Amino acid sequence: MSANHGSNDIQHLYEGDQSKLYSGVLAHHHDINSSESKSQVKKIWKVFWLLLVITVVEVMLGMFFSHSIPKGVINFLFLALTILKAGYIVAIFMHLGDEVKSFISTVLIPLVLFVWFIIAFLADGFFWLRMNNSTPTRAQIEAPAKHAK
Amino acid sequence: MSHSTVVTAEPKENVWIGGRSPFNLSYGKIMMWAFLLSDALTFGALLISYGTTRFFSAVWPDPNEVFKSFPFFEGQNLPLLFVSLMTFILIMSSVTMVLAVHAGHCGDKKSVAKWLLWTIIGGVCFLACQAWEWTHLYGECGGLWGAFTDPNTPVEKFHHFFNHHNAGHVLETAPIVAMQSTHNFFNYFFTITGFHGGHVTSGVIFNILILVNTVNGVYERRGHYEMVEKIGLYWHFVDLVWVFVFTCFYLL
Repeated sequence: MSANHGSNDIQHLYEGDQSKLYSGVLAHHHDINSSESKSQVKKIWKVFWLLLVITVVEVMLGMFFSHSIPKGVINFLFLALTILKAGYIVAIFMHLGDEVKSFISTVLIPLVLFVWFIIAFLADGFFWLRMNNSTPTRAQIEAPAKHAK
Repeated sequence: MSHSTVVTAEPKENVWIGGRSPFNLSYGKIMMWAFLLSDALTFGALLISYGTTRFFSAVWPDPNEVFKSFPFFEGQNLPLLFVSLMTFILIMSSVTMVLAVHAGHCGDKKSVAKWLLWTIIGGVCFLACQAWEWTHLYGECGGLWGAFTDPNTPVEKFHHFFNHHNAGHVLETAPIVAMQSTHNFFNYFFTITGFHGGHVTSGVIFNILILVNTVNGVYERRGHYEMVEKIGLYWHFVDLVWVFVFTCFYLL
């Protein structure tokens, strides 16, 4: 534990080390054996167990139920659980949940582009499969006698 | 640099007039987030192009059939077990990383070093698992990229990657379509898991560097462990990407 955290050494900070000024390190410095520290560690382990349970549920679904539950339903479940896991990792492990609101928006808003990307590209792939009957793929499925063997 | 630059934000204070970070974050941390955003878009592009190819394919290999091997239990049908182990290792190493970051907040040099060491071990274990899986699939495919391009490839070489209930008809009537899908599947698999593995590798190297710095007391002298936080962000991001790779390749 270093002792040089008094505010009077701010002036001695060199230009490159802005982190000391902005990271909140000065404000948040606490003992690892304090109750605050222990409750944070407890939270970290809680999130670990949550992530583990979600993963086990996903694997169980994939191993035993991938053919009994309708494809659409099971894919929706997989995606929902994935987003949930991602949320826990970003909010708790990456501490994004502890940042100021304007920064959270700055990080998350650009990701909205993915909604558009995913819809546009997957729709295009789907369209291509259904509509394009000049490709070998389409032709060979419908008239295997002509091409196969 | 005046003292007012470090005053914590009052609720009504305008944070955008200069002299302090409006995000209450250091430049380095903001730039790490910016880099991670751009990296997210790169991974996103790879996964979306994988999805697009899959959507325009009439049949697609079934992950339960492709990924069913486990070291020392080869030949047994153990779908998804090995990748679950890999996922567990990576989540675990993410936890040890966040504990290192936490110890850094407390300025506890010994704990930072301990948890960083565990994180490095976790990362190396993950890479070892990936090396095994790649070697196994290399044997199955007879190559990494660019396998399954010869139209005369017998159907026996790839029919076991498919679920015959869904794809049996296509395998019988138009095996070349199934072969094309197998080719695409493995190309994307090696590209995306390879790109992710590259990230894990560089993450392990960064972790070793900051472990050396920690042990040498560089951060203790500096008065804070923000470098551990920044590398921690990168490491968690690598775990985050794996969550999506796991879903896209092994579950969906």
